[in-house]
Amino acid sequence: MERFEKALEVLKNNLADSIDELKVPRPRKAYVFLKPENHREAISLLLKQVEETILSTITGVDLGEEIELNYHMICGGTVTLKIRVPKENPVTKSICDLIPGANLYEREVFDLLGVTFEGHPNMERLLLPESWPQGNYPLRRDWQAPEHQEDVFMSKDESQPESVSEASESLVNVIVGPQHPVLHEPEKFSFTLDGEKVVDVNARLGYVHRGIEKAAEKMMYFQDVYLVERICGICNAAHTTVFCQAVEDIANVETPPRAQYYRTIVHELNRIHSHLLLLGVAGHLLGFESLFQHVWRDREPIMDIVERITGNRLMSGFNTIGGVRRDIAPSTIEKTLKTLKDVRKRAVFYKNVFEEDATLRLRTEGVGVLSREDALKLCVVGPVLRGSGVASDVRKDEPYAAYDEIPFNVISYTDCDTWARLMVRVDEVVESINIVEYALANLPDGKIRVRVQRKIPEGEATSRVEAPRGALIHYVKSDGSAYPYRVKVRAPTLANLVAFPDAIRGGYVADIPSVMGSLDPCFSCTDRMAFIDTNNNKKWHWSLDDVNNQKNRKVLI
Amino acid sequence: MPDLGLLKWARRNSPWLLHFNTGACNGCDIEVVSLLTPRYDVERFGAKLEPSPRHADVLVVTGPVTRQCAPRLKMIYEQMPSPKFVVAVGACSCSGGIFQNCYNISGRLDEIIPVDVYVPGCPPKPEAILQGVAKLLAKLKG
Ligand code: SF4
Repeated sequence: MERFEKALEVLKNNLADSIDELKVPRPRKAYVFLKPENHREAISLLLKQVEETILSTITGVDLGEEIELNYHMICGGTVTLKIRVPKENPVTKSICDLIPGANLYEREVFDLLGVTFEGHPNMERLLLPESWPQGNYPLRRDWQAPEHQEDVFMSKDESQPESVSEASESLVNVIVGPQHPVLHEPEKFSFTLDGEKVVDVNARLGYVHRGIEKAAEKMMYFQDVYLVERICGICNAAHTTVFCQAVEDIANVETPPRAQYYRTIVHELNRIHSHLLLLGVAGHLLGFESLFQHVWRDREPIMDIVERITGNRLMSGFNTIGGVRRDIAPSTIEKTLKTLKDVRKRAVFYKNVFEEDATLRLRTEGVGVLSREDALKLCVVGPVLRGSGVASDVRKDEPYAAYDEIPFNVISYTDCDTWARLMVRVDEVVESINIVEYALANLPDGKIRVRVQRKIPEGEATSRVEAPRGALIHYVKSDGSAYPYRVKVRAPTLANLVAFPDAIRGGYVADIPSVMGSLDPCFSCTDRMAFIDTNNNKKWHWSLDDVNNQKNRKVLI
Repeated sequence: MPDLGLLKWARRNSPWLLHFNTGACNGCDIEVVSLLTPRYDVERFGAKLEPSPRHADVLVVTGPVTRQCAPRLKMIYEQMPSPKFVVAVGACSCSGGIFQNCYNISGRLDEIIPVDVYVPGCPPKPEAILQGVAKLLAKLKG
């Protein structure tokens, strides 16, 4: 609690003149309305005077005449700094020099809302296709999709390599993706290599950008629960929990204690299956195929109990605004406890494997190092942050659901490498099993859901939970109707991806898969890497015509 | 040379799958990967996940097709040698699912490339995907 109060004190004492209003509507959630351009001062004060402050994300909201920028700062709670820029000429100063982790968030606001950040090192598109027509900002309220413009929108040729840094003859530019055997999701990385050493890496995101935030504005709150669930199939319960919490906050609804416990249970089962999934993938990426097969086999019983509790293996559809949708039968509780007992044994076994297997340690120790300072500067979250020695966990910092009543430990390792990040997950599986067992043993009686009106009163809320991959934040703004005015989602992967260049720079090509895997589990585990060399005399500019041309059909695999 | 049906026989007995995510939420992808693991073990049908489009017979697509992915998808489809087959896994690739009206979606899968088997569900259970693959194999036989 102290850090949060200290943050408010710091702001009040030093910035009294620039603050229009300071509200603390709910514990550990503050909204600070600042005069234009005063955000830089406020942010640097927080960074300097409150330890372990990070930026969670930047939300842009179109208010009609103006665009409001919300800087969600995390310091023991969530302090949202608000400034406004005119929509006519939306320009403000970048904060990348103060906190490098803001880089992608500013680009995201630029791409989707058209706000320019002066001083940003590389103000380019982040999510939309390159061929997206200029001056179209889909998250502005008055934006309409132009009709019959399929060809304008159709992405031209995205396969052109990014410009190679031509500093030295020995540098080779290698492009990986978007469709790729190791990556589960399409994403494009271009590596600059000097022999086996990785000099730099550039990522192009947005291949799976669908436009969920816009879609959420067109659906009712209750329907949106199912939409946000489909942001990520792996941590779906985290997304529904965080969204429901935000809406409940605005509507001032108290969820019954039994529902809080149920939410906790499903959320933790989600974490167990997600961590096991990643550990299996890590095994595969490190060359331990059998580890992958073993871990995924042990994950299946967890999927079985999730199916029994929620009715589906992955998309649980379990949470709803006001509580949860199903009760858990006593026979299911019995089955769950029995399964968890077996899984615990396996988790202990895997801990031994990760600690004692010499090859595994050789391939992960000292690889992909991300120092504590860098981790904070880049605003990474979850196991990546905890693997770099910062014991930060939303479940402890801002307890939600039933976490303030359930004892558990926050796991952190100070090794700052790939091994540490994997170990955090191994240990957290055991912690999660403890939490579920405790919650099942101490289930409160009572209702599982309260009725909530379809129309949600005017207001706004930020809500955070600890998804399996790290802190997940949703910001919801309501204008009093049954449809949200704005829904903003910052998923943990986006936060962690910025750390990839720092972690891999100076490492070896052979480390790329494992370092990637330890940051972000969105990678499939099907095969090894395939490289396409772009720096030989034959240029690799692929268009559909080129592909059809027999001469060009050559893939280096 | 008499046609011994050897090619057909081989294709039926060892379909190699290429998986491409065109904007899926990961739900379907995880279930596709589950197929490879001990409980579902798709390898008993001779199927194998194959990274290169030049080696694959069956393209398994998950997710709605985003604008950035559409040209890539076409390119990969073109690269696959004929005869080739496409399995649409999940509500999203069958119809666009919950994302059908989103601004960055360029359409259903079958508006972009021809589809042979549809596996509905959000996400379909691995058993359902297996059944889809089995149906495709039956089709090849027949
Ligand atoms: S069908 Fe469902 S699980 Fe599959 S990609 Fe679409 S939303 Fe995700």
